[in-house]
Amino acid sequence: MSEFLLDIRDLKLGFKSYAGLIEVLHGISLNIRRGEKVALVGESGSGKSVTARIILGLLQEFSTARISGSVSFEGDDLETQPLSVRQGLRGTKISMIFQDPTSSLNPVYTIGVQFQEVLRRGDVQISAKQAEARAIALLEDVSIPEPERVLASYPFQLSGGMNQRVMIAMALANEPSLLIADEPGTALDVTVQAQTLHLMRDLVERKGTSVLFISHNLGVVREFADRVYVIYKGRLVEHGRTSELFHSPRHPYTKALMAAVPRITGGGIPDIAEATDAYLDPMIDHEAEATS
Amino acid sequence: MRRIFYILLSNPLSVIGLVLVGTVVFSAVFADFIAPFPSHRGAVVDFSNFNQPPHWPNIFGTDLVGRDVFSRILYAYRISLILGVVVLAIAVPIGVTVGLAAGYLGGWTEFCLMRLTDVFLSIPPLVLAMSVMGLLEPTLTNGMLAVTTMWWPWYARLVYNVTRSEAQEGYVLAAEIIGASRLHVMFREILPNCVPSIVTKMTLDLGFVILIASSLSFLGLGVQAPTPDLGSMVAEGGNYLPDSWWLTVFPSLAILIAVFGFNLLGDAFRQVLGSDQ
Amino acid sequence: MSPVVRLLVKRLSISVIVLIGVSMLIFTIARVIPGDPARIALGPNATTEQVEKLRDKLHLDEPIYIQYGYFVRDFAKGDLGVSLYTNRPVTTDIAQFLPATLELVIVAGMFMIGLGIPLGIMSARFRGKAADNIIRVISLLGVSAPSFVWAVILMLLFAFFLPLFPIAGQISDTLPVPQRITGFLLVDSLLDGNFRAFFSALHHIILPAFALALSGIGQAARLTRSNMVETYDKPYIEMAQSFGFPARRIANRYAFRPSLIPSLTIIGLDFAAMLGNAFLVEAVYAWPGLSRYGVQVILRKDLNAIVGTVLVISATFLIVNIIVDLLIAYINPRIRLAERGGS
Repeated sequence: MSEFLLDIRDLKLGFKSYAGLIEVLHGISLNIRRGEKVALVGESGSGKSVTARIILGLLQEFSTARISGSVSFEGDDLETQPLSVRQGLRGTKISMIFQDPTSSLNPVYTIGVQFQEVLRRGDVQISAKQAEARAIALLEDVSIPEPERVLASYPFQLSGGMNQRVMIAMALANEPSLLIADEPGTALDVTVQAQTLHLMRDLVERKGTSVLFISHNLGVVREFADRVYVIYKGRLVEHGRTSELFHSPRHPYTKALMAAVPRITGGGIPDIAEATDAYLDPMIDHEAEATS
Repeated sequence: MRRIFYILLSNPLSVIGLVLVGTVVFSAVFADFIAPFPSHRGAVVDFSNFNQPPHWPNIFGTDLVGRDVFSRILYAYRISLILGVVVLAIAVPIGVTVGLAAGYLGGWTEFCLMRLTDVFLSIPPLVLAMSVMGLLEPTLTNGMLAVTTMWWPWYARLVYNVTRSEAQEGYVLAAEIIGASRLHVMFREILPNCVPSIVTKMTLDLGFVILIASSLSFLGLGVQAPTPDLGSMVAEGGNYLPDSWWLTVFPSLAILIAVFGFNLLGDAFRQVLGSDQ
Repeated sequence: MSPVVRLLVKRLSISVIVLIGVSMLIFTIARVIPGDPARIALGPNATTEQVEKLRDKLHLDEPIYIQYGYFVRDFAKGDLGVSLYTNRPVTTDIAQFLPATLELVIVAGMFMIGLGIPLGIMSARFRGKAADNIIRVISLLGVSAPSFVWAVILMLLFAFFLPLFPIAGQISDTLPVPQRITGFLLVDSLLDGNFRAFFSALHHIILPAFALALSGIGQAARLTRSNMVETYDKPYIEMAQSFGFPARRIANRYAFRPSLIPSLTIIGLDFAAMLGNAFLVEAVYAWPGLSRYGVQVILRKDLNAIVGTVLVISATFLIVNIIVDLLIAYINPRIRLAERGGS
C-alpha cells in the first residue's frame, strides 16, 4: 500500500469550447498522507476548486472536460476505475464541505431528511429512528444546541454558522478518510468562520481524517494546515511544510501573495498588484529538497 | 452580431427553424408566383377536377369544388402572417406601455392596470377571442381585433415584471437624480432593457398568433369563405375523413410547420439573448 | 389562523374581485355589439311588437349600468337568465354540458402532468445528450400545433387507420347511459357499478383527452426541463452529488422539487387554457360538452348564455389557480412557514 492516502500525479484539465481547448490545469502533482491536513492555496480561477471536483469525479461527467494524469486514492488509480466506483467513494470515503453552507443545503427538505440521506450512504439498512439518533449525536459533536429542533428545520430557518456546523457534521457522518473543504465558510462572517474552523480541526484530529483544505486565505491556512501547496494559473508554484513556507517563501508569487495579506484583514480575496512573468517560474519544493 | 450568427448557425435546430420560417415567409410573399393556380384563392369552381387526391399538377389534391389545395395553403400563409404581424404591432405597444407604467409608477396606477390585466388573463385566451369574434362580424379586421384583445395582457405582465426589477437598478436612480422626466426614464432607460425578452416573446408569439387565429377560424369564427384559411380548411375537410384525407392533413401540417419554425427560432433567440446577459 | 388558510382567504377575495371584473368586461362586450340581439334571437319573421317585448324583457333599452345592475341582482339569486337559443335557464344548460367538458379537461390534465413532468425530468437529467434532444424536439412539436390539428391527426391515425379507438362520442351507443348522478360519466358509471359503461367511457375519452393534452405535455416538459436545468447549477445539487446520492434520486427529488415551484404556476395556467382548447377538441370528436353549446350561443349572439358560459369558465380557471397556489404553498416551506416565525 502506498504511503499516501491521496496521490495526484501530473493532472491536466482542459475544456473544449468553440474557441478551442482552454487549459485549466497544466499538470499538477500533490499528495496527502493519512491524518494529514494539506492546503491548496491560490486566487480564484487558479484551478484549486476544479482539482477538488476531479478527485470526486464530478467534472468527469462534463462532455467538454478533457482530463489526463492519475488520481490514486488508497492505492487505487481512480482514473482507471469505472465511474460507479468513484461514485461509491463519495459521501463514504471522501466527502466535501462547500463555500456557502446555506445554499449548499436543499431549500425544500428539512435538515433531518437530508441528514438521513447522507447516513444512508454509509449504511443502506439504517432505519429512520436509528438515523435520527445518530444525527442527533453527530450534531451534538459539532456543539449544536437542541439538535432535535435543528433536524426539524429548513436551512433558511437556521443561521449561516449553524448550517456550516450541520454541513461539517454531515461530511464527517460516515467517517470518511478524506475530507475536502472548498473555501469553507467564506460566505460567513469572520468570527463565525474562525469558530467553525476550530471545531472542524478538533473533529478531524480526533477522528484522524485527512483534509484537503482549499482556500485563498493565508491566515486561515497557516493555522489549519500541516503542509501547503501554492497554485497559480493551473500550476503549482511552491510546496512545503506550513511553518517553512511561511517563514521563508521563495517563489515570487508566494512572496507577493504573502505581502498582500496584511492589507486585507481576515477574509476576502488577496489583491495581488500585478502579474509578472516571474510568477510563472518553476515550482519550488521545500519537501523534495529536504529529502534529497 | 457575428457571435449571434455563429451560435445560431452552430445549432442544427436553429438552422431548421430559420429554414422553415424562411420558407413560410417566402411562400407567403411570393404566393402569386409560386402557386400553380393563383386564381384558386377566390371563389373558383372546377367540377371537372373536384375532390381529387394528390396528383400532378395538384400536388396536395383538390378540394370539394375543385380548387388546388397547395395554392390555397400558400395564400392562407399570407393571411396568417399579415394577421400575426398586425396583431403584434398593436398588442405589443399597448402591453409594453401598460407594463412600464404599472411597474415604474406604482401606486394606484399599478393597482388598476394590473388588476385590469388580471381580468383579461383570467379568461382562457381562446374563449375571450371567441366571444369578441362571435359578437362581431367575422372579417379579417375583426379577427385581428379579437386576437389583440387577448394578447396585450401577456406583454403587460412580462414588461411589468422586468420593469419592477429594473426600477431598483442604479442607472434608473442616476437618471432620476439628474432630473430626467418619468417618460424619459420609462422609455429611454428601462425599455431598452426589456427589449431582449420582448423580442424573444414576439418571435415565439408570431407562431402562437397563427395557432390561435387558425383555432378561431376552425370554429367558424374567422375569415369567411372564399378567403383561404388554414383553420377553416381543416374544419371543412374534417367532415370528409378519412376518405378525403388530403383536405385536412395538408393544412394541418402547414400549421404545424409554420408554428414549429417560429418556435425553433424563438428558442434559439432565447438562448442567444440569454447568454448575452 | 394558519398561513395556508390566510393565503386561501386572500386568494379567494382577489379571485372574487377579478371575477366581478370579468363579468363587467364580458357584459360590456356583449352589449356594445352592433345588431339587435332580440331581432337575431326571434328571427326575421317576428313582428316588431314581439321584438319590442323581448327587448323590454331583457332590459335592452336601459343604460348599460342599469342592465348590469339587473344582471347582478339575478346573479345573486343564482339566475343567469334564459338562453335565447335553448329557451332554458342558462344555469340548467351549463349544468348539463359542463361536466363532460370538465371530465375531458381533467383526464387531459392527468396526461399533461403524468407524461409532461417525467419527460421534463428525464430531459433535464440527460441534458445535452441524445435523450434530451429527442424529448425537446417532441415537446416543441407538441406545442407547435393547435389541439384541433392533433385531434384530427390522432383520429386519422388511431381511429381510422388503426381502428384502436372509437371515432366520436362519449360512450358506446349500444350501452344504456348510466344514471346521471354527478354528470361525470366515468364517475357515474362507477357509482352505478356498471363497469362495461365505465370501460366504454374510458375507451372513448382517451383519444380526445390525449389530443387536448399534447400541447400541455410539451409545455410541461419544456418548463420542467428549463427550471430543472437552472436548479442543476445550484450548490445544493453539487453537494448532493459530492455525497454520492444516485443520479436518478438527485433528479427525481433534489433537483425536481425546488424547480417544481416556479413550474407549477405556469402548469396551472396551461391546465386552465385547456378549458378553452376543449372547444376545439370537442368539435372534432362530437363530444357533448360545453363547447358546442358555447360556439352555438356565440354564433347566435345569445347574450345571457355567452355571459354565463364565459363566467363559469373563468370561475373554473380561477379555482384551478387557487388550487395551484395552495399546492405551491404546500411544497414551498418558505411560504408554509413564513408567518409562523413572527408569532
